[in-house]
Amino acid sequence: MAIRGEEMIGFDFFLDRFGIFLSVIFGFIGLMSLVYSLATVKEKGHKLEYYLMLLLIVGSGIGVALSYNLLLIFIFWEISTFAIWRTVGYYRKDEDLRAATITFLINFAAAAVMLIGLVVLYMENGTFNFFEIKNFNNLAAILIMIGILAKSVIIPIHIWLMPAYKAVPSAIGGCLVGVAENIGVILFLRLFTTGSYFSPDFFTTVAWLAIASSLLGGGAALLSNNLRNLLAFSTISQIGFILLGFAVAGTYGIVGGMLYILAHALAKSGLFYGVGVIEDSTGRNDLKAVSGMLKESPTLGVSMAFLAGSIVGFFPMIGFFSKLWVIIGAVEKTAYLGVGAMIAAVFTLLYNVRFYHELFFGERLAKVKRPSYTALAVILILALVSLLLGIFFYYPVNYLTVNGGF
Amino acid sequence: MNVDFLGLEFPIYYVMILLPAIAGLLGFLINRLRSEFNLLGFFLTLWFAIKLFIKTRTEVLSFNIATFAGIDFTFYVDSLSGFIILFSALFGFLIWFYSLRAMSKTPRERVYHLYIALTLSATNGVLLTGNLIFLLIFWNVLVFTLYGILLVGKKDSSFAARKAVTIIGVSDYILMLGIVILLIKTGNINFPVEQKLLLNDPWYITSYLFILVGAIAKAGAMPLHTWIPEAAKAVPAGTMAYIPASLDKLLGIYFLVRISYFFFDIAGSMPVRIILMIIGSVTIVAAVGMAMIQKEAMRLLSFHAVSQVGYMVLGIGTGIPIGIAGGLFHMINHAIYKACLFLSAGSVEYRARTTNLDNLGGLGTKMPVTLFTFLISALAISGVPPLNGFFSKWMVYQGIVEFGSESNLWPIFLVAATFGSILTLASFLKITYSLFLGERPKPLNKVREARFEMVVPSLILALLCIIFGVFAYQIPLKNLIYPALPFRIVETGIWLPMLATILIIVGIIIGLIIFLFGTAVKPRRSRVFVGGEVLEEEAARMTGPNFYSSVYSLDMLKKTYDFGEGGAFDFFNYLNGVASGFAVMFKDVINRLIVAIYEYIGKLIRVFGQLTSFLHTGELYTYVGWIILGGIIILMLLVL
Repeated sequence: MAIRGEEMIGFDFFLDRFGIFLSVIFGFIGLMSLVYSLATVKEKGHKLEYYLMLLLIVGSGIGVALSYNLLLIFIFWEISTFAIWRTVGYYRKDEDLRAATITFLINFAAAAVMLIGLVVLYMENGTFNFFEIKNFNNLAAILIMIGILAKSVIIPIHIWLMPAYKAVPSAIGGCLVGVAENIGVILFLRLFTTGSYFSPDFFTTVAWLAIASSLLGGGAALLSNNLRNLLAFSTISQIGFILLGFAVAGTYGIVGGMLYILAHALAKSGLFYGVGVIEDSTGRNDLKAVSGMLKESPTLGVSMAFLAGSIVGFFPMIGFFSKLWVIIGAVEKTAYLGVGAMIAAVFTLLYNVRFYHELFFGERLAKVKRPSYTALAVILILALVSLLLGIFFYYPVNYLTVNGGF
Repeated sequence: MNVDFLGLEFPIYYVMILLPAIAGLLGFLINRLRSEFNLLGFFLTLWFAIKLFIKTRTEVLSFNIATFAGIDFTFYVDSLSGFIILFSALFGFLIWFYSLRAMSKTPRERVYHLYIALTLSATNGVLLTGNLIFLLIFWNVLVFTLYGILLVGKKDSSFAARKAVTIIGVSDYILMLGIVILLIKTGNINFPVEQKLLLNDPWYITSYLFILVGAIAKAGAMPLHTWIPEAAKAVPAGTMAYIPASLDKLLGIYFLVRISYFFFDIAGSMPVRIILMIIGSVTIVAAVGMAMIQKEAMRLLSFHAVSQVGYMVLGIGTGIPIGIAGGLFHMINHAIYKACLFLSAGSVEYRARTTNLDNLGGLGTKMPVTLFTFLISALAISGVPPLNGFFSKWMVYQGIVEFGSESNLWPIFLVAATFGSILTLASFLKITYSLFLGERPKPLNKVREARFEMVVPSLILALLCIIFGVFAYQIPLKNLIYPALPFRIVETGIWLPMLATILIIVGIIIGLIIFLFGTAVKPRRSRVFVGGEVLEEEAARMTGPNFYSSVYSLDMLKKTYDFGEGGAFDFFNYLNGVASGFAVMFKDVINRLIVAIYEYIGKLIRVFGQLTSFLHTGELYTYVGWIILGGIIILMLLVL
């Protein structure tokens, strides 16, 4: 078996509806993150590095969404890991550096395991082009899956997210949740779901793993008092839904997963910025220490109500359709999966209602500075986009459904 | 069916859904013209609803917007949804008109009117759709508007809003799952179905029960009712009259009938019918029992709003045509009289500034019109002939008796229903007395009749109570209820409302004559002494809430009541408790275990590193030895 460089890797990009859809989301999230960073990131020392890393995260996300060569995807994957490592440790405090180390080690180790899986695939097929990969074996699938689980924070490789979220600047956190954590599930979609891998057991296992992840994340978020921890567990829970949609693999499941990426990227990055605004204006990020914020900043309260509504999946938000489509897809496979997803959704409702009410109602506890208008505008825009996409749901849903998205 | 506007034609469905929302939004944005925009919006909605209603008496309308992603986005209006649309538009109009004065100069008036309008839009949407997924979309909008409108409170109502959004949200997820299972198993979720589904497949039963949860949670039956009494403490009367008292009942029961007899056919499944009837009976008795001991007018009324759902569910659960018609008729009647009760109590609150029954009394002479509307609707809800509440309960009873030919359980349900009715009458005696009769506390001497805008809606609703009772056959049953149901309804018991009315009026006239010419007309008034001391008038006052304090002090009942008031039967508490229990397991057991495994791996790697560090002694000879050993191994590999 000869290794010829020009066949292994090249300028291998392609455009399909999914790729365009994802690129637009990532670009928009990146733009919002940039605007928010300009308003909130004040550190003088290594600011240049910060913006470089922001662009690398967005760029590598788009790269993964648009390339069809597994090795190229792996390179983007590692660029993303590297950028996350740099940004998590941005503030250079001891615990930040520790979090950055954990993040990097787990992501890197899992990616190394994934690389072995990719090489096994190459040995079987003689190509890294995932359209031409016909021979799968289960070993390669499992090895690659480990990388995907680590990148997309599915249990049991989710533990890097909590320290990472605690350390990361809130501006880049929106980018992390909106872009970097989606590339794992995108690889799953490209390689397994729309590829030629056929193993019902594997997909069923992944679907149940996704539901377990959603349940664990939702349950843990219900008990978390630290806002950053809450966001981290919530992300684990929501990406479980995305992976569930891709793992059940019907049209509804795939379109639901894509819609979920859209809804979740918009809403969760908005919530992250909201938490950032609360931290900046009160200096606290504990649910027990902050309350009565609605009177302080009605704009923030209303926007975050819409964003949390989108995560929960109430109608005028796009989140409703993503959840509905994923659940239809799950029930199409077996109704038990649908019941599992429904229970996970109940957890989502409970923790969102809880944190929203504890944050925005009740007695005013913390001293509050006036939040920056730019930051509030970013959150408001994200909420409005979620709302408008929900009301005019025909456009995204139809765009993804026509010809199955290809 | 289209609506002409400036030479353009719009389908009436779009108009019904968008008109209130646009009027509400414009009114919200341009505060100065709010009343004008809202008047236009609500009046035109009512006007088109009347046109739609007349049209649906003779034909069935349907209209397909688009089919994409495998789902038909279709409107469908038949004689059932036609008359409910009429009533939802009527309630929207009346309660907007009432709130115009009742809410004026309160801090969040603007938002309140916006939510009233949006709720009407979403309600129309639910009633007009002909596809369950499409219906679910509008059903979800109602959660949002409910949350928003509950946050507009007299005082901090955020807990009520949280409770409501949790309970309704969870039941909506269950409803969603039920609809999705139906979609996957049958592939058809459009009205009307050609072949009704019999409940013989386990998945059909699951799907039906899941959808049932959504319907009865919206209607407010037990055990998913607890946000209603919670909200009653904190939100204005208009909200209570609008959402839990009228629109939620219309929607929930409409959906229950739609799903039970147009989509599935539950008449063939005895267990499901018995489940429904048990839910109904338990709701009637338990909620009315809680209502008996309440000391706050709104909270008392809200428990009745729960209790009366029991009759509707009970009637629909019988599976007997007359019982179903009775349940549906009771839904309309309940919406009318309960809205009237809330509005009248709201008028009292507007003038007296309190709803605590201990501090009220003797307002009958000051507020005669409110007394009239309250009394009529209180008699109607207690099932006193010839008012409408009696008639629909009578039909439900007939349904239960007829159900007796199929099951031996019917006496239980009949006893529960009549017992509930008696307790309802008892608690309305108490509240009517506490508000309007008896001694008037001193601070209330300046109270006047409520404003014109507040009296008119109550008066219209009270008149409807009388009309729907006296002319029950001629007006509501013939035009609204019987055409709406897909089966022929046979009356078994005979009740002639006209004759009864005449007899009752004659009876009342005779009673009045005796009252006027008798000796009982002039009671002797004297001061009250205790041990030679003159007792203050306030202390001697007999207040209404003490009527049934003996019931409360019964030992076993007292414990049950204390449990109930303490939230022991609250679904919200159970849900949160169970969820937190699982959450502890997820977070503190499983998650901690996973983290511990990672830490263990980390330690192993560290130990491995320490072991290898022993090899690095720093002595030159050792390294040279290693190099030679390695060189030999490589050479051997190359040679072999």
